Amino acid sequence: MKLGAKRVTPYRVASVIILVILALLFLFPLYWIVTGSMKPVTEILNPEPSFFPKEFTMNNFDRLFAKRTANLWDLAVPFSSWFSADHKPIYFSSGPSAPAAFRWLINTVFMAVAAMIITCVTASMAGYALAKKRFRGRGLLFSLIVCAMALPKQVILIPLIKEISALHMWDNLWAVIVPTVGWPFGVFLMKQFSESVPGEILEAARIDGASEWYTFYSVVVPMIKPGIGALAIFTFINSWNDYFLQLIMLGSGSNYTISLGIATLQSETSIDLGILMAGAALAAIPIIIVFLAFQKYFTQGITMGAVKG
Amino acid sequence: MANSQPKMSRALQRRENIAGYLFMLPSLFFFIGFVVAPMIICIGYGFTDANMNSKTASTTFVGLHNFITLWQDETFLLALKNTFMIVLVSVPAVCFFSLWVGSAIYHLKGPVLSAFRCIFYLPVVTGSVAVTVVWKWMYDNYTGILNYVLKGAGLIEENINFLGDERFALWCIILILFTTSVGQPIVLYVSALGNVDTTLIEAAQVDGANDIQVFWKVKWPQMMPTTLYILVITTINSFQCFALIQLLTQGGSGTNTVMYYIYFTAFKLTEQRGHFGYANAMGVVLAIFIGLLSAVQFKLAKEK
Amino acid sequence: MKMKKLIAGALAMAMALSLVACGGGDKPTGSQGATPPATGSQSGSQTPSTPTENVADAITVWVYPVGGWGDEAKVKPLIDKFTADTGIKVSMEWLAYADGDDKVNSALTGGNAPDVIMEGPERLVANWGVNGHMVDLADMIDAEDRAEILPAALEAGTSADGKVYLYPMFNVAHCMAVNYTAVKEAGAEANIDLETRTWTVDQFDATVKALHDKFGGTVAAVYCAGQGGDQGTRELIRNRYGTKLTNADHTAYTWNTPEVINALTDLKNLPGIQFDASLQGGDEIAKFYQGVLKMAFCWNAAQQLDPNSAGTGEGKTLTGDEIVYMTFPTQPGKSPEEGSGVWGLGAFDTGDEARIAAAKQFIKYMCDSENCAQAGDISNFFSCRSKAEGVEIKSSNPLLVEYYGKMMPYMGEYYQITKGWAGARTEWWNMLQRVGAGDDIAATVAKYEANANAAATAG
Repeated sequence: MKLGAKRVTPYRVASVIILVILALLFLFPLYWIVTGSMKPVTEILNPEPSFFPKEFTMNNFDRLFAKRTANLWDLAVPFSSWFSADHKPIYFSSGPSAPAAFRWLINTVFMAVAAMIITCVTASMAGYALAKKRFRGRGLLFSLIVCAMALPKQVILIPLIKEISALHMWDNLWAVIVPTVGWPFGVFLMKQFSESVPGEILEAARIDGASEWYTFYSVVVPMIKPGIGALAIFTFINSWNDYFLQLIMLGSGSNYTISLGIATLQSETSIDLGILMAGAALAAIPIIIVFLAFQKYFTQGITMGAVKG
Repeated sequence: MANSQPKMSRALQRRENIAGYLFMLPSLFFFIGFVVAPMIICIGYGFTDANMNSKTASTTFVGLHNFITLWQDETFLLALKNTFMIVLVSVPAVCFFSLWVGSAIYHLKGPVLSAFRCIFYLPVVTGSVAVTVVWKWMYDNYTGILNYVLKGAGLIEENINFLGDERFALWCIILILFTTSVGQPIVLYVSALGNVDTTLIEAAQVDGANDIQVFWKVKWPQMMPTTLYILVITTINSFQCFALIQLLTQGGSGTNTVMYYIYFTAFKLTEQRGHFGYANAMGVVLAIFIGLLSAVQFKLAKEK
Repeated sequence: MKMKKLIAGALAMAMALSLVACGGGDKPTGSQGATPPATGSQSGSQTPSTPTENVADAITVWVYPVGGWGDEAKVKPLIDKFTADTGIKVSMEWLAYADGDDKVNSALTGGNAPDVIMEGPERLVANWGVNGHMVDLADMIDAEDRAEILPAALEAGTSADGKVYLYPMFNVAHCMAVNYTAVKEAGAEANIDLETRTWTVDQFDATVKALHDKFGGTVAAVYCAGQGGDQGTRELIRNRYGTKLTNADHTAYTWNTPEVINALTDLKNLPGIQFDASLQGGDEIAKFYQGVLKMAFCWNAAQQLDPNSAGTGEGKTLTGDEIVYMTFPTQPGKSPEEGSGVWGLGAFDTGDEARIAAAKQFIKYMCDSENCAQAGDISNFFSCRSKAEGVEIKSSNPLLVEYYGKMMPYMGEYYQITKGWAGARTEWWNMLQRVGAGDDIAATVAKYEANANAAATAG
């Protein structure tokens, strides 16, 4: 990292000014969400917008929380929908009734974290194999992965719904998690990353009699750790934001994610902007706090992932 | 020993095959199960007149009928055009913008640098739905802040119906997509600029190269891998604009994309004959285009 | 540093909590897992020998936000009462008009339909019903019910082959509204007859002009961002020169008429009216409620009682302006025809007799019992029946009674059951967008009518 400008040229000055303006513009939507969520309804609906709230209120949040309720959690027996009579999950524990927005947040965190963990595990194994194992069909698989990487999920919309429903997973967070894990970008990223593992080290491990798994686990994984970090961040944010899968896979309000919850609020209350902004704030603030707290790792992770890309 | 060499190699190959596929197995399970298999079924459906009402309407094989109809469907052709418009505009725009921001902020002091990096990354973490909701309000025809500001500044006389006017709507969507796409490329370019070999820069400066020459002749070639990576992720990102269309215009005002039209045909036009087949045929066409695009990108990447 | 740890801790907690969970819940509180009665027939069409004794203990009910039924707080007491009376647990989901259809259709695609749904005949009968997704409720309607239920409503809920896919609950005539305070400020109140609530096209145009001169900008929006609330634009346009948008036996669309084209041309040329492709019905109401628009075309009794569902009082905008509901303007001497809205409950054919039995029990409870009055009151619309099981049903709200007297006589026939309705709605708002964008009106109307008819005759 360079410290300080070398020379102060007019171009530098101009670019800093433009940067500051751009930064303010980029910050504005977030500012508008946060202030909007705290404006009273009359102010928020006033055709003359006020840049700074004249009056602060938590009323929007109160109304958001009162609007829909759900159990804080419902814990089901894993795979119970496969053998239960009506193909619905069997619950062994349900939380107290709470504002649905909290449940949505919990759902979202669960979904994003589960997708992240599973993707990291499967993709790093597969990426390592693609990069270092000379197995048959490897070229073909890799081409397939590359071609499928940019595929929007809308393409497979109908078959995917039918498949998920046949597996009795519809209206279940796993219905969102599983296709996210299947998306092959992670494998691609980890393959690029694993290329950097020197072949000699693997050879040495093999000569020492290490098993394939041991080699992977204790030699390769530590070396590709930064890449796993990058993938973790990428998957987490991606699944947090993947509104589409959530829209088609989740049916009941208690299973919504926060994105889907707000989107539904938008189409439902149309323009009770106070509630909407409160919802948007609730969706944005937690992840922003996490982001700011782990900012260093975020940026490190992202860049690490790309050096080899 | 010499004799057993090919045998050994075959054993080794077997070992590699087994190990390779075992390592691939968990990933392949999800990839084949939830991406490849649906894709194959999708292709199959594309040749039928399948529909939602399987209880009252039978599904028959219709050959290429869906694909032929597609090329006469104005809505689809417009959607296809818009889809590529979005990709062709936003990908280069994101690349250049983030390159410029990256090179402008990487001179700055540590805390300032990370502040800027954070700010440009914020729309990504805010989440697409939250961002869309607030932009919808800002674009509003009657009470939106954008119209208010532009009017106040005397730039416009009448309010602009940003999302309701086909001259603006698609650009409004591209703008939102843009703000949610530049975060990561900026971070990437900043670090790529930091990794440029300084001895080469100094050598060029000694030879009398100015800043612009140093940038394009020395730094740019070294950042090529980063640029390619950015191209790939931005392209992927541009195809994920479904939420924006669904929540802002529902495909109206000339903002339809193939991604939205597939969803629309599948779940809104349920009375149309064979709408599932038709939607899947669209999916197949889109997949072919995207496959070609990816192939071209990787061909480029290999050459560099 | 401390905060980081805290957040990490919180995250880990949330994870640990939810990792155990296999997704989430369909049913509300304390469901004790699968229960014997539900095991009836998973395999579908086979009818168990004793179907009446076989009633599921939990059902899923999806409702569109029909009047007050979109309000969880208002609906919940009645649902709780149902559960207390019958022992059947109900998990309610609220759909939105913007994407509710998509949700139901995607559920149907995978065979995940809910047990009961509340909406109008255009979906329940014309779309899902005739396509074999719904259960015939004819066995629930006896001679007495037939005498009590409004014949037009029952007819709307019945398919051409005599199957009842929708048990009618309430109906309303769709109308329009004006900001009366603004009209008075603009000095145009002479155009508005508070007694009859009807007006001519000329009076309407003069009012728009006066409002436009006084306040500038857009007085009223012909909203066309989507299908939401499109009955408003349909009735506005077809009443202007008095025509119908479908043929008499509801088999084809008749938009391509001089009446429609002239009406569109008039509206397009009238300053103050904007074809707005950024608004749907719900947005329009909100803008009207804000005082931005001075007229609303997406209006009805429920809106008049609780504008924008904001709970700020009957017939008042956010700024306290007085709202007056009016019929759609017509040519002098012609009687207006208001859009007709009918809503009720239907049951999806889930293939599970026990669940269907429970669904029917729910429908009976809401539509044909002493609770019928309460269910109607929640909606802010008018009950479709005079009596239910001997109990007289009458609205006590004076505003509703007044609305009923003034608007209901003008209620037109229910034509939304024409084949290909969902597709035609799409064509309608797309047509308005094209007209708004300045395309040739006659050619546009001809083209989109042809599209709509293609959808009506297909399949």
